[in-house]
Amino acid sequence: MTDFLPRGKGRFAEEYRPAGWDGMTLKEMLERSEELFSETGRYWGVSRLEMKEDDPIRYEKLFAKLRGGLVNARETAMNVSASPIVQEIGELCFALYTPEGDSVALSTGIIVHVHTMSDAIKFMVRNDYEENPRISPGDIFSNNIPKIGDVHNADVQTFVPIFWEDELIGWAGGVTHVTDIGASTPGNVPVGPITSYEDGLDLTANKIGENDVVFRDHEIRCEMGVRTPMFWKLDERCRIAGCHMVRDAVERTIADDGIDTYKQFIREAIEEGRRSFIEKIKELLIPGKYFAPTFQDIPMKGEKGLPEYAAVDSVSHAPLELTVGAAGEFHISFDGANKWGYHSFNCPPSAMQGAIWVLLTQTMIPNDKVNDGAYFATTHEFPPYTLANPTDKEAATGAAWGYLIPAFTGLIRCISRGCFSRGYVEEVLSSYAMTMNAMQGGGKDQYGNDTGILSFELSCVGGGARGVTDGLDYGAAMWNPEGDMGDMEVWELIIPFLYLGRSVKPSTAGMGKYRGGSGFQSTYCVWKTDDLVMQNAGDGNTFPSPGIYGGYPSASGYRHNVLGANMPERFRKHLPHPTREDDPADSEISRCCDGEHLFDTRTLNYPYRMEHGDIYYSWYRGGGGLGDPLEREVPMIEEDLNGDYILPRYAESVYGVALEKDAEGFWSIDAAATEQRRQEMREERGNRAVPTREFLAAERGKITGGEIDGVIRRMYNQSFELSTRWGKWFKEFWDLPEEFRFQDEE
Amino acid sequence: MSSTREPRILAIDAGGTMTDTFIIDQDGGFVVGKAQTTPDDESQGFLRSSEDALSYWGMSVEDAFSSLATGIYSGTAMINRILERKGRKVGVIVSLGMEDYFRLERGVQSYLGYSYSDRLHVCTHQHRPPLVPRHLVRGVSERIDVFGDAAIPIDEDGARRAVNTLLDEGVEAICVNFMFSYRNPAHELQMKEIAEDAVRERGVDVPVTIASDHYSIRGDFPRLNTLVADAIAAEPSRRHLRSIDERAKDHGAEFDLRIMASHGGTISIESRELARTLVSGPIGGVIGAKWLADRIGVENVFCTDIGGTSFDLAIITGGEYDVKPYPDMAGMLLAIPMVELDSVGEGTGSFVRVNPTSGRIEIGPDSAGYRIGTSWPEGGIDIPTINDCDLVLGLLNPDYFLGGDITLDKDRAIAAIEEQVAAPLGIDVYRAAAGVVELFEEGLKNNVLSRIMGKGYVPLNYTLLSYGGGGPLHVGGISKGMGFESVLVPAWAAGFSAFGCSCSEFEYRFDASLDMPILPDITTDEKEGVTEMIDGQCAFLREKVIEEFARSGFCEDEIRFRIFLRMQYMGQLRDLEVRTDYEWLESAAALDDVIAGFEELYAKVYALSARSPELGYLITVAVISGTVEVEKPELPTEPLQGTSPPGDAHKGKRDVYWRGEWVEADIWEMEELKAGNRLTGLSIVESPATTLVVPPGASTYLDENRIFHLEPGEEG
Repeated sequence: MTDFLPRGKGRFAEEYRPAGWDGMTLKEMLERSEELFSETGRYWGVSRLEMKEDDPIRYEKLFAKLRGGLVNARETAMNVSASPIVQEIGELCFALYTPEGDSVALSTGIIVHVHTMSDAIKFMVRNDYEENPRISPGDIFSNNIPKIGDVHNADVQTFVPIFWEDELIGWAGGVTHVTDIGASTPGNVPVGPITSYEDGLDLTANKIGENDVVFRDHEIRCEMGVRTPMFWKLDERCRIAGCHMVRDAVERTIADDGIDTYKQFIREAIEEGRRSFIEKIKELLIPGKYFAPTFQDIPMKGEKGLPEYAAVDSVSHAPLELTVGAAGEFHISFDGANKWGYHSFNCPPSAMQGAIWVLLTQTMIPNDKVNDGAYFATTHEFPPYTLANPTDKEAATGAAWGYLIPAFTGLIRCISRGCFSRGYVEEVLSSYAMTMNAMQGGGKDQYGNDTGILSFELSCVGGGARGVTDGLDYGAAMWNPEGDMGDMEVWELIIPFLYLGRSVKPSTAGMGKYRGGSGFQSTYCVWKTDDLVMQNAGDGNTFPSPGIYGGYPSASGYRHNVLGANMPERFRKHLPHPTREDDPADSEISRCCDGEHLFDTRTLNYPYRMEHGDIYYSWYRGGGGLGDPLEREVPMIEEDLNGDYILPRYAESVYGVALEKDAEGFWSIDAAATEQRRQEMREERGNRAVPTREFLAAERGKITGGEIDGVIRRMYNQSFELSTRWGKWFKEFWDLPEEFRFQDEE
Repeated sequence: MSSTREPRILAIDAGGTMTDTFIIDQDGGFVVGKAQTTPDDESQGFLRSSEDALSYWGMSVEDAFSSLATGIYSGTAMINRILERKGRKVGVIVSLGMEDYFRLERGVQSYLGYSYSDRLHVCTHQHRPPLVPRHLVRGVSERIDVFGDAAIPIDEDGARRAVNTLLDEGVEAICVNFMFSYRNPAHELQMKEIAEDAVRERGVDVPVTIASDHYSIRGDFPRLNTLVADAIAAEPSRRHLRSIDERAKDHGAEFDLRIMASHGGTISIESRELARTLVSGPIGGVIGAKWLADRIGVENVFCTDIGGTSFDLAIITGGEYDVKPYPDMAGMLLAIPMVELDSVGEGTGSFVRVNPTSGRIEIGPDSAGYRIGTSWPEGGIDIPTINDCDLVLGLLNPDYFLGGDITLDKDRAIAAIEEQVAAPLGIDVYRAAAGVVELFEEGLKNNVLSRIMGKGYVPLNYTLLSYGGGGPLHVGGISKGMGFESVLVPAWAAGFSAFGCSCSEFEYRFDASLDMPILPDITTDEKEGVTEMIDGQCAFLREKVIEEFARSGFCEDEIRFRIFLRMQYMGQLRDLEVRTDYEWLESAAALDDVIAGFEELYAKVYALSARSPELGYLITVAVISGTVEVEKPELPTEPLQGTSPPGDAHKGKRDVYWRGEWVEADIWEMEELKAGNRLTGLSIVESPATTLVVPPGASTYLDENRIFHLEPGEEG
C-alpha cells in the first residue's frame, strides 16, 4: 500500500494494518458484503440461521445483552445533555453497527436514525478513512451532513469504533437533535438557507478525537459555529459518553461469549431482521401497487432578504408509490417528484430512509428488534435532481423535514389500505397531522444570552383518525410516537415568551365518520428580549394531511402574529388580552390587539423582527379524517361541539346536523332533523354526481385549458422533465399527447 | 410464649384485594396476616388481617395492640380513587387561557406506563378522561413571569367571578395553580383571600388550596396534578385512615397511625398533604433495605423485588437511596419527590409466547398477575407464564404454593408450554421451559447490570438483596456470574415490602424550587450571599416541617433538620440531589462542601468525561428533611447452631431439570432451618410464601438474623 502513496504523506505514509476481519480492509468487507447480498439476496449470504435455530435461547440472550447496553447508554447519556429537545423530548438514539456499517440493534429514541448513521459509516469506509485519517481504538468521528447520511443538519452524529484485539468489530453510533446548527437563520430546522453553503456547521464525517478525547480545535470550531455553544458542548459529551457505554457493553458481551459467537451473531441478527420484516409484510399487506401523492406549498414569493431566484412560490410534489410483492417485496418509489429548489427543504435519500423507518416502527413493526435487516428487505427509488434526492452539492438540506413530513403521509395511507384489506382494521390510520407550526427564531433570550429557538410543543399534534375510533388528540409527532408538549413553565425558562394561553383548537382535525386527532393552540407575548427574529413554518395553501375512505383532510394552516402590539400597555390598563383564536373568522387576537396583524397564509417565511409585547400565535395541526362524515354518530358530534373540537358552522355544513344551543351555551343536536338533513345531502350528492368519464373530461379540460395555477404547472413540468416514465403514466391517464407540457409561467 | 412476647410494630399493606399485616415483636420475631380488603370500611379488613397474624402467636388483638409502639399504613385506596375518577368534586382555578390543562394533559400521559412496543405503536395511545372536567375549571387573568415579576396584574373581579361560578356548581374544594407561583406566590395568595371571602359569604365549607403553599415546585402541570389529586382523593382517604386509627385505639392501641409517603419517610395521617402518600407500597422494600444495610454494616445495596407482574429495582449507594423529583403514577405526572425505583414489566406471572412471524420468544409485557398461569385452572389462564415454567422444571412444589392453599396442575402447564413454546421452537418441552427461565433471568440480569454500570460502579461494589415472592426462586440465576460482593435473601422475603414500611423514619420532607445560579467565577462574598438565600428558603420550609410535627405533638427541639440541595451544571435540565448534614449552610465553606459533593456524585452517576464545572452550577431545589426518633424493628436474632440442618427440616427429594439435565434436589422447609445451618445446591428451600433455590455448585448459609447468604460455587 505504501508504494502507491505519493510523498509527503507524513504519518499516513506508514503502512497500516487493515482493521477488517481476516486481514481484509473495511472497504473490502463492505464490497464483499454487497457482492454476497446481490448474489444470494441474503445478508452476507447467510443461508441458515444456525444460532437462532439450534440455540434460540442463547440467540435471544445475546440480543438482550447488546440491546440492553444501548438502552442503558441512552438513558444515562440523556441526563448529560442540556438541550430541552434531548432532555424533555428524548431526541437521541444510540445504535450498534457492524464493521461495514449495518445496524445490529438500536436503543429506544428517535428510530428515524435506524439507517442514517449506517450511511455515514459506509461513507467513511468507502472513502478509505482506514488509510487516512486512520481508524484506531479510541477515535471519535462526527457527521451532520444529510447527503453523507443524516436527516437534516441539526441531527448530529458521533461514532466510536469498537476493537477486539486488532480487529474492528463494530461501531457505536449516537445522534442527538441539537438546538442550533449555525445556519444562516437561527434554529434547528432553519428555513433561511437557500444553498448548502448556508446550512451552518459542516461535520463531514470528520475525525474529532483520539484516545477517547475530543480535539480542542474541533471544540473551538463548533462553539464558534453555532448560536448555542453550551447546548452543543453538553450534547456532544452526551453522545460520546453514550458511545463509550455502548462500546463497554459490546466488550463485556464478547468477553462473556467469545468473539466468534459475536461475529456470527451480528450477521445472523441482521439476516433474521430481514426475514422477519418480509414475513410481516406478507402477514399485514395485500400485494399490489398503492399510490398516495402529497403536495405542500413553499410560498417564498416577495420574501425580502432572498435573491430573486429564491424568492418564488413553489409546491413540492411527493408522488409516493408503494409496491408490495407476493413474496413480501416492499418497494417505495418517488419517481415523478419535482426538482430540488433554492430553499432548505431538499431531502437526501438518507433522510427519506429515516422517514420510512420512523413510520414503519410506529405501525407495522413496533418492537425493539428492528435493525438494518429490515432495510435490506426493502427497495426504494429516489430519482436524482429531485426534492427526494437533491444530488446537486449546492442543495440546502437544513429543513429536509419540510419535504419528509408531508410526503410520508402517503406511506401511512398505503399501509392502512393494505391492513384494511387484510382485515386489520385496528391498524388503520388516516394521515397524521403536520408537526407544524414550527415556531422558530433566535437572537437574545430574556437573560441577554444568544439563543436559537424552536419550541418542541409541536411534537404533540393530532393523530390520523383510526379504523375504529377518532384519532389521538394532541399526542404525537410523525417523527416521534412518544410525543409531548412539555410544561409551559419549562418553555418559558428558555424562550423569551410569556404564555397567554394553551388550549384545544377547534376544527383542526379532518372530519369523517371518525375524525382526526385535534390540534391545539398557544398564544404568546414576546417577553423581555431586545433582539429577536421569529418565523412561522408550516403548510398554508395545501392539504398535506388528506383523509381516507371519504374522510376530510385536516385544516390547512395560517398565521396570525401581531407586531407593535404593545401588550404591556394593555396589561397595565386591565384591558382584555388574547388567549386563543378559536375561530379565525371571529378572532380574539384581532379584537384584543392593536398593531400590525400578520394574518394570512404566509405560513412559511423568512425570520422577521419581533419586540417585547408583540403577539406570536402558534397552532398545531390536526390529523386527517376517516370515512363519510354523514356517518358520524350524533352523540360524537355533540361532544365535538361542546368540547370545542369543531366550529358549529362546519358541523352543520359537513356533518349535516341540526343544531340547538341552550341558554347555558351547551349544544344539542336534533336527531330527527339531522337524519332528514343528511338524507337531503345524500340526494344533493346524487344530483351533483356525473359519470366518471364526464368528470375526467371536465378535469382534463382544466389541464389543457390553462386553468391550473402557474406554480402547479411548473411543478408538473419539472416532474415530466425528470421522469419520462412518470410523465408517460400521467399523460396516458389524462389522455394527453406524449409531447404535452403545461404552459410555462409568465 | 405469649406471656413474654411484646408486639411492638404493626405494618399494614392494604392492596386492592388483600390486606396484609406484618407484626414484629421486641426481638425482631414477626408474623404475617392476610384478609380480604373491605373497601367500604377498610378498618374491618385491617382488623381481620391483624387477628389472622396474631393467631400464629396465639394472641388476641387486645393483648397485642396495647404494647404496639408504631403502626404504619400503606395502600392503594387513594390511587384507586384517582384511577376511577371517584372522589370529591373539585373546582380548579388557573391562569387565564389555560383552562384546558386536564384535556391537553401532556402528550406523555397518553402512553405513561405502556410497554416499549406499545409506546412505539402510536394507534394504541389514548388520553384518559380529564382528572377534572373542563366545566369545573376557571381561568383568571394574571401572570407571573419566569423572573417572578407580575407581568399581568390579577383581575380581582374575574377572580371573584371564577370562585362564585364554581361554588354555583357545588364544588367541594377549590384548587388554585397559577404559572410560576413557585417564583412568586403573590397572585395565588391574593386569589386565596378572594376565594375564602366568597366561601365565607356563602357560609359553605369549601377548602381553598393554592399550589405555592403545598408544592412550590417548577412544572405547572405535574404541580397541578398533585394539588388536585390531594383535593380529590386525600380527604376520603383520610376518613378511612382515621377509621383504622380509631379501630386500633378501640382495641387498646396507643400509637398514632402513620402512613408511608413517596419520599421514603412516614407522615401522620393528619398531614396536610396526603397526596405525598399516593405512591407508597412498592418503596417499602427499598426503605427496608436501607434499614437492613445500616444494621448489618453494608453501604451499597442493590434491591431487587420480583413480584407476579413486575421486577422492581432500586439502588442504595453510600447508605442512601435516590429520589426522583417528578415521578408518575396512575398515568399522571406528579410533583412530589419519590424514592427512585425502576419497574420492569416482567414478573413470575409474565406470559411467554413465541412470535408467529419471527419465531422469537417474547416474555410479557402482560401478565397473569395473581392468576399464576395455566397451572392454576381456576385462574382461567391459557397462556403459559414464568410460574408455569418454574413448576414444570420442578423448582416449584405444586402442593405447597401459598403454603398449599392452592394446588397447581403440572400436566396442564406441560401441555401449554409444549404446544405454545416448545413445538414452535422445535425443542423439547423441558429445554423450552429452562430456556425461558434462563432468558427471563438474563433479562433481569441485564437490567441490574445496566443500572449499576450506569452509576459508574461494578457489581463487586454492591450487595444484592433479593425479596418479593419470586425473588428467592430466581436470585441464583440472576446473580450468577455477576460477582456481587454478597447475595442476601431475608427469610421474610415475601413480606419484605410491608416490613420495610415499619423501618422508615417519621420524616417530613418539603421541596421548593430555587433556581439559584453559582457562576464559575463566584467570589467568597457572593457565596455567602448564596448561602443566605438558600437558608432563607429553607427557613420557610422548616416552618412547614415544624407545623406538621406539631400535629403529632412533637416540638421543634425534637426534630433533626437536614438540608438537601438539588443541583445541575448551568444549562442542564436534569438535577441530582446532594444530601448534607447541615441544618443551616451559613458559610461559603458549606457551599464549597455542597459543590464538592455534587462533583463527586455527578462523576459517579454519569461518565467522568461529562463533568462540566466550567459552566457553573444551578441549585434548582432546596429541600428540608425533618425527622423525629421513632421505634423501628430489631433484627431477629437467633443463637447460632451447627452447620447441619435438623433432620425434620429435610422434606425429601425431587427431580429438577437443571441446565439441560435432571438433577435430584434436596427439599427443605424454611421455617425448620436453624441459624448457622448450611445447605449446598441443588437445594430447594420452601416456605408458604416463597421458595429459595440454591443452584448446583452454590451453597447457602442462614445467619443469626435469619438472612440467607447465597454463595456461588466455582462456576459462578
